[in-house]
Amino acid sequence: MLALVAPSILFMALFFVAPLGLFLFRSVDNSEVPGWLPRTVAALSSWSGAGLPEEPAFRALAEDLAALSGSTALPLLGRRLNHDVPGFRTLITATGNRVDPARRGSMREQLIGIDPRWGEPLYWQTIRRERHALTWFYLLSALDLRYGAAGGLERAPVESAIFLDLLGRTLGISAVVTLICVLLGFPVAATMAGSSPARANALLILVLVPFWTSLLVRSTAWVILLQNQGVVNQALVGLGVLEKPVPLIFNRLGLYIAMVHVLLPFMVLPLYSVLKGIRPELMRAAASLGAAPWTAFLRVYVPQALPGLVAGASLVFVLALGYYITPALVGGPGDQMIGYFIAYFTNTAVNWGMASALGTILLLVVTLIYLALGRIVGLERLAVR
Amino acid sequence: MAHPPPITALEQASHVAIRILTVLVLAYLVLPILVILPLSFTSGELLIYPLPAWSLRWYRELATSPLWTRATWNSIVLAVVTTLVATTAGTLAALGLQGLRSRLKPALYGLLALPLVIPPVMVAVALFYYYARLGLVGSFWGLVLAHTVLALPFVVITIAATLQGFDVNLPRAAAGLGASPLQAFRKVTLPIILPGVVSGAVFAFVTSFDELLVILFVGSPEQRTLPRQLWSGVSETMTPAVAAAAVVLISVSLILMAVVEWLRRRSDRLRAGASHP
Amino acid sequence: MPKPSRLWIALVVALTAWTGIAHAQTKLVVGNAGGSSADAERKVFYGPFAAANKIQIQEESFNQELAKLRSQVETGNLIWDMVSTTAINVATGCEEGLLEKIDWSKYMDPKVFQDVGGLSECGVPYLFVSGGLAYDGNRIKEGPKTWADFWNVTKWPGKRGMLYRAEQTFEVALMADGVPPPKAMEVLAAPGGVDRALKKLEALKPNIHWWKNGAESITLLSSGEVAMAYAWNGRVASANKTNNLNLKMELGAGHVSGCQYWAIMKGSKNKELAIKFIQYAVSAQPQADFVRVISYGPANRDAYALLTDQEKATLPAKHMDKASLQLGKLYLGFWLANGDALLQRFVKFAAQ
Repeated sequence: MLALVAPSILFMALFFVAPLGLFLFRSVDNSEVPGWLPRTVAALSSWSGAGLPEEPAFRALAEDLAALSGSTALPLLGRRLNHDVPGFRTLITATGNRVDPARRGSMREQLIGIDPRWGEPLYWQTIRRERHALTWFYLLSALDLRYGAAGGLERAPVESAIFLDLLGRTLGISAVVTLICVLLGFPVAATMAGSSPARANALLILVLVPFWTSLLVRSTAWVILLQNQGVVNQALVGLGVLEKPVPLIFNRLGLYIAMVHVLLPFMVLPLYSVLKGIRPELMRAAASLGAAPWTAFLRVYVPQALPGLVAGASLVFVLALGYYITPALVGGPGDQMIGYFIAYFTNTAVNWGMASALGTILLLVVTLIYLALGRIVGLERLAVR
Repeated sequence: MAHPPPITALEQASHVAIRILTVLVLAYLVLPILVILPLSFTSGELLIYPLPAWSLRWYRELATSPLWTRATWNSIVLAVVTTLVATTAGTLAALGLQGLRSRLKPALYGLLALPLVIPPVMVAVALFYYYARLGLVGSFWGLVLAHTVLALPFVVITIAATLQGFDVNLPRAAAGLGASPLQAFRKVTLPIILPGVVSGAVFAFVTSFDELLVILFVGSPEQRTLPRQLWSGVSETMTPAVAAAAVVLISVSLILMAVVEWLRRRSDRLRAGASHP
Repeated sequence: MPKPSRLWIALVVALTAWTGIAHAQTKLVVGNAGGSSADAERKVFYGPFAAANKIQIQEESFNQELAKLRSQVETGNLIWDMVSTTAINVATGCEEGLLEKIDWSKYMDPKVFQDVGGLSECGVPYLFVSGGLAYDGNRIKEGPKTWADFWNVTKWPGKRGMLYRAEQTFEVALMADGVPPPKAMEVLAAPGGVDRALKKLEALKPNIHWWKNGAESITLLSSGEVAMAYAWNGRVASANKTNNLNLKMELGAGHVSGCQYWAIMKGSKNKELAIKFIQYAVSAQPQADFVRVISYGPANRDAYALLTDQEKATLPAKHMDKASLQLGKLYLGFWLANGDALLQRFVKFAAQ
């Protein structure tokens, strides 16, 4: 029996869990520094971090950098350290290409002669701080935090602290989209649940059509429709609602329109399946017991609808959080969500530590929501027996 | 089973309001997809109404342009192979899990459903790093396995749902009559769960056919699929060929959805019929 | 079994022959940014070269995602042969061992590229893009003459389109603040330069409409949604030609100009063929043809002699003294070191 499940489990383990695990690990992976500066790291481990280290550390660095000279490791090390301190990249590459540990004399003098920045504590402190195989640097940066000069944690300078804003924006957009989906989806699901089977079926098909159409195609449709001369603007101007076309795309409004469209079926379908099971006799019973219709609705209908509402809303919210395609096609520069930056750091900035850190935080938020969902709705209801 | 009829004027008003809202929302859901249909038949270069004239030129471009034909071919091949692998593995998994009486069961189900809850962009990026290390970026089988992993949850869940009503005594009876496990599966189990298997296969096909992000990050130029080509079209030069491609994708999805729906109703009917004395 | 008919045999033979031919053709894979630039490149470079040499040129999408180069080179799984890329990425890619280091002076005369910064160790410039002040001549009769005018929303009310990127936008802000364009990079790299640029941008911020891709900048101008915009000269000229517009550019106000480079991926099996292609693409006649198609400047000085005055109208040749050049040690060093950090500052600034 277990043998039958084995191939699938193997696929999952090798091509899903392992990649994901490695990806998350990259958020703390710091193999570059200890790997490429072994002597320096060893020499700095006994250094207090105050002022400048002693001559042996300079010699160790000279030897390490000289060993890297001519290989691609040198610029990659420079790239890595540049994340900590802008400018480190040129410092590393220039020094590595010019340093000569075999030359007589103080290495300290030689290094500072090549670039005076080696006389500044900041650069040495950075190497010392990043000497371990693991680092908190990326995760801290993703939360707009960093190590202070004194060694404790401090907030990143306000002018470049974008990641908490990004997280907030992502959560905010997802929340608004979820809210709209609830407001629009509830009436639809309720109507479907209260209709005859034939009509409910017809309505269901209308909801399934967009559900089955791929996300990309739907987003594409909105890109076409929301243009300045697109159908929506044309209709609004033609009907006299607007004087001239309004920008509907590459902004937050267009993003909401497209995202709600894409996610609405995920709200309606679970909600409908729950509402379908609510017995109308209970509402009538409440009425016959003297409850006003509004009271009956609030105290009999809604509590029973709640699991469906919560399931649908959580699903919509979590899906919205991780969206990349729709915001990329329909949103403006200020509407990009976490997914965009994960892709940006992966592809363009080639800062895989940051991409992974952002991904880790996203995953954390998603997990927390699912755990909360599990507790509210009751995990058993979601399990397949 | 309608709700109790509205009594007060307020109730009636809110009832009407809800109906109007429902109509509007359903229109909002369906119209965008319908509206781009005619646009794909425009003879002009821009995607605006009114159409200068009707024309098949953009469909002709899809059919003749090597970029689009190659992309379509790649999509089909990849989806078909993924479907075969995912459906086989998924069916076995669903069968195996059904017969499993272990505490591991919910954990295994959870593992198999995991791709549903992880944001797709993260999966794509993670696979990129992973494949980059293994040298699998741009390999066909790498893509097949990636798509299989994304499709497996759908296959397993669909077939598991089908198996819920499955009577395990049937294959046991067949075994009792002398059939080998494989024969029992082929002649007894499979025909009964076939609608579920086909539905699962359809889900797998659609998942692979529509998939974009993994291809974007991990695919090589040779493996450009239809969604990948569509993405280039939308983000770079938007011509009505993009609308035509979108219509093709919509049609494929809807036809397959219709197949699944038909199968579901058929099996519902059969079950309803079977339970009558 | 019935004998296969002659028709079948003929079909199989034809099919094998056809696929055989298709595979036997050498293929050069080029990564480019797609869109109208790629269309022009196809028309002027890829098409004629492929036909003349009986090879196939396959284009792939490359939007300066270094990671794509990295993953190919590091795994030894090279799918692309060459890419069209920016000065910064040529420098980065060269340093990180992603691009082939070639002594280009063996294949072409370095002097003709002097105006645009010369040949790079790993790249050859093939077009010269200028980003500058653009406005709709039909909507604004008395056009702006300087970047300070661009900032003047009282005299010229309306929004301003600007590139959603730190690079180029910061240089322009400094120009508006009175820095002579050739010194803009120097001032930016000096202490306090970035703060000064951001402070100047702050003043204009309520009126800025950010654009991310070139086509958007043109749409913003032509639809009147912005009164003026920072835009790239090739796109402006193409839009005028294709859509009969009257967009004007005031390059004399100061412009940010730089090259797009051809670079060969390290370890490419078609290195010689790629070198031959690049030689072709940067020679005078194809360069002049390219200007005719897409109106970006040529990198090869000799191409100017082959152009008419009208064709040279949107080129910055007369305004090279007002250029902030996207090349040289200062430029590369500064953006290589500070690109990521400044991206964050810029995003933060734009979001507030």
